[in-house]
Parts: sequence; structure tokens; C-alpha cells
Amino acid sequence: MLAYTIRRALTMIPLLLAVATVTFFLMHGVKGGPFDTDKPLSDAAKERLNQRYGLDKSLPEQYIQYVTNLAKGDLGISFSNDRPVRDIIRDRFKISLQLGLSAFAMALVMGLALGIVSALYQNGIFDYLGVFFATVGAALPSFVLAPVLVIIFAVNLHWFDVLGWELFNYKKMVLPTVALGTLSTAYVARITRASMLDVLRQDYIRTARAKGVTELQVVMVHALKNALIPVLTILGPILAGLVVGSFIIERAFAIPGLGFAFVNAVLIRDYGVIMGTTLFFAVVIAVMNLVVDLLYGIVDPRIRY
Amino acid sequence: MAEEGTIAQPFEFATWELHTKQRGFWSQAFRRLIRNRLAVIAAVILLVVASVGIAAEFVDVVQRHDPAEQQYRNTNAAPSGEYWLGTDTLGRDVWARVLEGTVFSLKIGFGAESIVLLIGITVGLMAALGTRWSDGILMRFTDLAYAFPDLLAIILFRQILIGRDWPILGTGDPQLPGMPGSLLVTILAISFVSWVTIARLVRGQMLSLKQLDYVTAATAIGASRWRIVRVHMLPNTLSTVIVAVTFGIPTRIFAEASLAFIGLGVPPPAASLGTLITDGYDNLQSNNLLVIWPAIMVATLMLCFTFLGDGLRDALDPRTRK
Repeated sequence: MLAYTIRRALTMIPLLLAVATVTFFLMHGVKGGPFDTDKPLSDAAKERLNQRYGLDKSLPEQYIQYVTNLAKGDLGISFSNDRPVRDIIRDRFKISLQLGLSAFAMALVMGLALGIVSALYQNGIFDYLGVFFATVGAALPSFVLAPVLVIIFAVNLHWFDVLGWELFNYKKMVLPTVALGTLSTAYVARITRASMLDVLRQDYIRTARAKGVTELQVVMVHALKNALIPVLTILGPILAGLVVGSFIIERAFAIPGLGFAFVNAVLIRDYGVIMGTTLFFAVVIAVMNLVVDLLYGIVDPRIRY
Repeated sequence: MAEEGTIAQPFEFATWELHTKQRGFWSQAFRRLIRNRLAVIAAVILLVVASVGIAAEFVDVVQRHDPAEQQYRNTNAAPSGEYWLGTDTLGRDVWARVLEGTVFSLKIGFGAESIVLLIGITVGLMAALGTRWSDGILMRFTDLAYAFPDLLAIILFRQILIGRDWPILGTGDPQLPGMPGSLLVTILAISFVSWVTIARLVRGQMLSLKQLDYVTAATAIGASRWRIVRVHMLPNTLSTVIVAVTFGIPTRIFAEASLAFIGLGVPPPAASLGTLITDGYDNLQSNNLLVIWPAIMVATLMLCFTFLGDGLRDALDPRTRK
């Protein structure tokens, strides 16, 4: 398994290089440069700025320069505020990560609970409620959910704040978390229900019941263990999606996360931040997928690497 | 085989009734689909919404007011007989705006999905039928596309396409005459990123079809390669593709609305459901109905496409049949 992990980690390198290359040339394909402002700079000033940030060289030269720096772990500096891109990503990602993890926790806890309860009371009232939630939740994109939640719970009921994010301050945490996490919760609930229904029909569950194991133990120990395997495979993409995909929620609640920083960087053509963010997101996605594959091998002994 | 049915047999099929009329795959699938009540209701709602929206572009009976007409003395009006859903911050008829936005979003959904289909099927076919070398390259390419977060790539593509004078597309500026640039730019940016799933689906289907006996048989009787692909293989990928398209259209609408929400939507006066929600969200304090109506419309569209897609999948895939 160690060999497998190393092999997988090594295949990430060409992938990341490809991501860097594609982003680099796409980014330079965007019209305009980082120093095109509403009030045009004097040619001399622009030339000095270009020289300072190495933008006076030809594109291939700049590309080679960037990749060389990247290999040394240097992501460059932001043109807009002169800070190292690495610091910007670290500061901004902390917030996106908190938001993503809160939504992930919600998806995990509520999704599993809904799915298990639905499966246990198949075709009962709880099942219909669970399936209803899973279906409606899947049809509510975050840009629909966020305004509706804000109107009901912030503007009318004053339970929570309209804007902002602060860890462990429920007034600022609940609405962004729910708006971001509902879609994933619905998805987890759906997969858990299907998988649980499948497992509960297996022979070994009947055996467990026949030998007098309590119902609670049958469900929580015997059934859940196997029912979780399909759920586990979707958790990686879900977590990656929540951590890197909070653009909309960050915009809706004015949360200064990394998604917000990326959109801004594209608009002002802050090349360093665009490259850094894209690469960072690609690493997050690749690592999540690897972790899930490894976990899969641990949980399901039939899979060997 | 009818005679065998009369002989006492221990097999179950001996007691099956013989159909006088044979039904084809598509006719059977259609019968299964219309027995699914949710899917039928969803399809009807989608048809009604689309036809009302399209009719509104030509007849003013359903639209009642011009969506661009501003009345500064009648802003943020409550819903009434005259203005069914009220008016917005500039005194425009919200009902007319929502209809216009719905049609725009549907155009994005269908337009982007058509291009996605075109690229996806072409790449999938080339990967499955080409050499191992070309397959490798195309699949590495899809790996690369998966490594990008979708929205991030769409934003980049949109920024590249926008603000230029393209030979066919126009400038993307609605004020300038010519092609409807901003719509096409958005459609292209979304489709360039979203074709990967279809390409993988088609490739997988084609690879497994290639192994089947009837394809070998067709080769044996001398059918040409292109004929085998066209007559024997492509139709068999159709059901997978239809289901993927039904789930794809709302995903494209979703992508455009996300773009609009982060401030990269179509420029006014054009409106999509996404820009309407965004405008409404920015005016939440003065008139919170502005965000509710387009939100209801988006949720309805999403639900309908989901139900229709589920219904189609159950109807078309014999393996999920109960």
C-alpha cells in the first residue's frame, strides 16, 4: 500500500505540471494585463512595473521562470498588494476550509442520520420525509438557498446575521453552512438510504437477527459497517467540492475566502494569485481522491493495492 | 415456438402469454416512462414553462408588459392584477422579467448542452475507436479537465472569450449590433469545460459494445467500420446519452446562474434567472419578493429536470427496472 501511495503521489506531479501549463496560457489569453487600470498609467511607469514583475520577458520565458520557481516551492507574489501568493492562499484558505468543513460535517451527520432512518422505516412517514428532503435539497442550488435563508432567518426572524463568517459564532456560522451543505446532505442521504436498504436485505443480517442480536446492534454495527462503503467513495469528491467550491456562498455572505480571492484575481488579472489558487485547488482535489482510494482499501478488505 | 407452449413444461416461460404485437425498445421505454407519474408531471410543467416563455417573446398576452420598460413612479409595487408578480426597483414588470430570464436560462441550458454533446460524443468516439495511443491522450486530457474545479475553469474561459471582437460571435456587448455575443460567450465557456462526463460515458459504452457478438457478426458479414459504428453501436449509446443530457441541462443552467451570482453574468438589459436572483439579492432590504420569484422558478426547473431524468433512467435502463 505504501508503494501504491508513492506511485499515486508521483503521478500527481505531471498532472499538476499540466494544470500549471494550461492555466498559465489560458490566463495570459485573457485580454489586458494586471496594470491596465481605469486611469491609464504612464508608459514609463507601466514599463517599470512590468520589468519589476518580469512581465517584460516573452511568454515562454515567463513560463519557464514560473515553473522553475514552482519547483522550488515559490508561488510568486501578488501584483495587487505585493504579498507572497503563498501567504494569501494560507490566510484565505483557512476561512474556506472552516466553511467547507462545517458544511461537510453537516452533510455527514445529517445525511447519514436521514439516510439510515429512511432505510429503517422504508415506506413509512420518516422515509417519505427523508426522501422528500433529499429530493428538494438536491433541487436547491446554493444561490437559491442563500437568499431564501437570509430573508427568513436573518431579515425577518433576526436569528442570525446577514453577512460574515466567524468560527464558533453560531450567528455567523449557521446560514453559510446550511446554504453550502444542503446539496451534499441530500446526496449523502440518498446514497446512504440506497446502500442501507441493500445491506439490510443480506443474509448475514438475517443471521444476526436470528441469533438474537439486538436490533440496535444489528443496525449500528452489522449493517452500518458495510453500508458505509459506497458512502465513503463519494465523501472525497464532496469534501473537495465543498472546500474549493464555496465561491457562491463566499459572495452571498461576503466571506473573504479563497474562492472570493480567485474571482477577484481573474477580474484584475493578478497572475500570481490565479496560478497559485488553481494549482492549490488541483492539489486539494488530487489529495482528496487519493485519500478516499486509500481509505477504501482499508475499509473493504476485498480491495488490495 | 408457440407449439412448445402447449406441451406441459416445468419451465416458467411455458405459461407466459404470447403477445400478438411485438414492441420495440423505444416503444416499451416510452410506455414505462408515461407510467411514471412524477416524470410525466415534470415533463408537462417543463413544456408549459418553455412554451409560455417562448410565446411571451412574440405575443403580449402572457407577458403583458415589456420586460425592459421602466416606470419610475411605480417601483417595488406589490403583486396586483396589472403586475402579476409586482414590479422591481426600476419599475419593471417582474412577471415579464422572470419569463424572459427563464427563456434565457433555457437557451443557455439547451445551447450549452448541445455543444457539450457534440464535443463529448466526438471525443468519446475517437477515444474508443482510435488507436491505443489516441485513447491514452484523450483520456489524459479528461483527467486534466477533472483536476480543475469546474467553475474556476469556466470563469477563466469566459474571461478569455469576453471583450473581444470574434469573427462570428461578435463582441459580447449587447449594445453593439451583430450576433448575440454575451449569450454565446457564456454558452461556449460552459461547454468547453463540461463535455468530459459525456465523453467518458460514450467511450465506456463504445468499448463494451465493441466486445459484443453482434458487432463481431456485423464485421464478419463485411459491414464497413463506419456502418457498424453508425447503425449498430451509436444507437446503443443513445439511452445513456439521453439520461446524461436530461441531468446536464439543469447543470448548465446552474453554472450560468453561478457565474451571474459572482458578478460575471450577462450584461443588462438581458436577464437570466441567475442575474435576476443576483439583482434581487442585492435589493433584499427594499423588496425581498424580487429574489423569491426567480428562486422559485430555478427550483421548479431543477426539480422537473431531476424527476424527468430519474424517470428516463428507469425507463431506458433495463437493469434498474423493478
